[in-house]
Amino acid sequence: MANEKVKIGIYELTGCAGDALLIVDCEEELVNIFTAASIDAFLMAKSDNQHGPLDVALVEGSVSTEREKEELLDIRQRAKLVVAIGNCACVGGIQAAFLDPRDWEKNLRKVYGNVEFSHAKPIQSKPIDAYIHVDYYLPGCPIGKEQFLSTFTRLLSGNPPDLYRFPVCVECKWNENDCLLNKGILCLGPLTLAGCGSVCPNHHLPCFGCWGPTEEANHTAEYRLLLEKGFDAEAIKKRMANYSGTRISDFFDQLRKEKR
Amino acid sequence: MKTISIDHLPRVEGNGGVTATIDGNIVTNVKFVINEGPRLVEHLTVGKTPEEDVSIAPRICAICTLSHKNAVLRAMENALDVKVPAKVTLLRELMHLGEFIESHSLHVFYLALPDYVGFPNAIAMASKFPFEVKIALEMKQFGNMIMKILSGRYIHGENPVIGGFGRYPSREDLIWIKNRAIQFMPFVYRTVDLFCGLDYPAVPESETIYACCEPGEGKYGLWGDEIILSTGQKIPRDDYKSLTNEFVVPHSLCKRSRYNGNPYSVGALARINILGERLDGEAGKAFQKYFNRRWKINPLFHNAAQALEILYAFETIPGLVDEVLKIVENPPLVPYKTKNGQGTGLVEAPRGLLIHHYEIKNGLVAAADIITPTAQNAEDIERYCYLAAQKLLDEGHEDQIRDRLDLVVRAFDPCISCSAHMAEVKQVPPGNWKKELREVLASRPVIIGIGKDNRSDDQAGLILAEELKKVGFEDVYLEAEIESDHILEAKAERSFLFLDIVQMGEQPGKIAVLPLQHVFWSSVLSHRLLPSVSGRLSYGQIKKSHLLGIQPQSLEADGSISEPVLRAIGEILQAIRK
Repeated sequence: MANEKVKIGIYELTGCAGDALLIVDCEEELVNIFTAASIDAFLMAKSDNQHGPLDVALVEGSVSTEREKEELLDIRQRAKLVVAIGNCACVGGIQAAFLDPRDWEKNLRKVYGNVEFSHAKPIQSKPIDAYIHVDYYLPGCPIGKEQFLSTFTRLLSGNPPDLYRFPVCVECKWNENDCLLNKGILCLGPLTLAGCGSVCPNHHLPCFGCWGPTEEANHTAEYRLLLEKGFDAEAIKKRMANYSGTRISDFFDQLRKEKR
Repeated sequence: MKTISIDHLPRVEGNGGVTATIDGNIVTNVKFVINEGPRLVEHLTVGKTPEEDVSIAPRICAICTLSHKNAVLRAMENALDVKVPAKVTLLRELMHLGEFIESHSLHVFYLALPDYVGFPNAIAMASKFPFEVKIALEMKQFGNMIMKILSGRYIHGENPVIGGFGRYPSREDLIWIKNRAIQFMPFVYRTVDLFCGLDYPAVPESETIYACCEPGEGKYGLWGDEIILSTGQKIPRDDYKSLTNEFVVPHSLCKRSRYNGNPYSVGALARINILGERLDGEAGKAFQKYFNRRWKINPLFHNAAQALEILYAFETIPGLVDEVLKIVENPPLVPYKTKNGQGTGLVEAPRGLLIHHYEIKNGLVAAADIITPTAQNAEDIERYCYLAAQKLLDEGHEDQIRDRLDLVVRAFDPCISCSAHMAEVKQVPPGNWKKELREVLASRPVIIGIGKDNRSDDQAGLILAEELKKVGFEDVYLEAEIESDHILEAKAERSFLFLDIVQMGEQPGKIAVLPLQHVFWSSVLSHRLLPSVSGRLSYGQIKKSHLLGIQPQSLEADGSISEPVLRAIGEILQAIRK
């Protein structure tokens, strides 16, 4: 592979296309990105897309139709490495926040009525690792430019990505912000993956958790702490569920068990 | 049999496409398909606090994130009776203009221009248009920077909140925005000349209705509390449903809209058509120089309209920044108490009218209704694609259909993630109508024979209806009966199958099953059907109804039915008996 460029495919499943757009938004670096690697498929940016073997597939979005599931399985077969990019691919996104499949079915009917979908049969939204093995997860809603470029260049040179594994609070301290929780504002910083640069607390606004939970996030302990601080149980649970997709189901299962 | 297909429509932001089905000389079906899965965002917001909803709702779309932000903020502030100070409104306008610059420049230069200069993508185009590609990138980057400075991030910034901003931009940042906007002006003029001067193909061209926000005070603008139509009619914000009438079609997860049964268009071209006369300054001069009749009928001029709006945005920014700088104090967030109520927020997203409506009960969102520009444009996209495909087929340019459909869809700048990529042209084998007819009959439609006795082939619909009655079909009527017995009204909840002769430019006796809406879009096809039922069927009925058509040989008065048409009737009856 000495002189051959690394073959990259960038794919969009169900989501807001924000991660693909963020890549397009790397304006100055964009031309370099397209010349350093061979971008074989990138639907948002080009029309001569190829369907062949890939070194790296970057997949955005959650799986929400049968067709997307087929497409994803095909991508996995063709790609040596699959990287989930963005909250929807990593954890399922806001649309995976239904924890009960019956709720999802009911809500689909509420929004679309009793229509038989002929072209794209909808299924309950799930992160891509519900169907395939995922090599790396690049979090964000959308992904951040710095982490994307660092990950991209590391993958081009055959290295694994080097991503933050700690929560937003660490970046928030680096930025010398006052702790919003101490001021009585419901902030999800302690549970949420860093990488955004603690942008919301920098603007005096609480973290909504949009990069998804860290691997070691202890939702149960944080939930109890927040209860002690006087926040409403339902408000905490809802806030935690917004951007955690399917990653929060263990916590909810545990809560249910405790209730019994 | 020949099949040409584009599975994903490239260079459209999101995931969808168009399928055109061709049977001989006629386009039997055109569908604008959204493959994007359902996200149920309207439902996701239910049970959330207004603050959470302001964070979640803009996640519908990364490209229009700040339009969604402004729409949800306007809706929530209307519902909660929050009046924001002037500085907040001015900064929200600045951030909205940033998104217009970002979205329009990305679309015209990177997504649309490669088609017109013969390159597969913008990067390849760089070899011949290095200056355009480079400066366009800078322009887009400038839009992004405005968005980042004001919202906190390139995409999904959380800084704009109910009652104001978490943090206000610095004086230095604002002055940088103003100066940078002024620096861009020479290139902005070039952009207008480039896109207003492009040679846009004449197919498709057809009248439509346009809709946008009425900014008020006789100004051009990005939001309002009323909707204004190209017909002159105005609709107050809370009555938005009288315009949009959303419904769902089986082949797409994007909801659809129609106005009084007619498809309508929203977006830059709609705004320029309705509000263009109000532009002043350089944008006004450019409008007077370039605007002509074709802008009213040709959707490809969306690209030209977007270029005019880029000029409008750049020209507005310096004055806007000056206004902001006059207000030194940064107002704190407007406090509010949650109360029960409803609120609608109307804004112009780069690709058109965007509506957010929420109902709040006990401090939580109880119901949400979000109507995106692409959902409103979907019907007109389908109609223009149908017209383009049929026209090119008539002119013997079948080979151009696929590329032209791409061009049409892309001109609308559909943000499919906000509703939901692809142009596909299908040639169906002869006799395909049998399969389609069986599918239509399976829905047990009310069958209506259209035609005139003793007028050669015009009797075909009536004869066929009589024959169907004989073989035991229920709910079969003749044209005369639907008048006297009010059948269309009485069977309002049912679908209809009309039987009629249809001019398809085909061999006499050719049979086709056509969606009824296509017949309405191309009024040349059926001469009798239109006057007898048009305007009397609701759009929902039209959408699920069909026409079984036979190509006539002769329509002479007092003639007898021709041999090929008689043979066709026989074929149909045989197919049905099977």
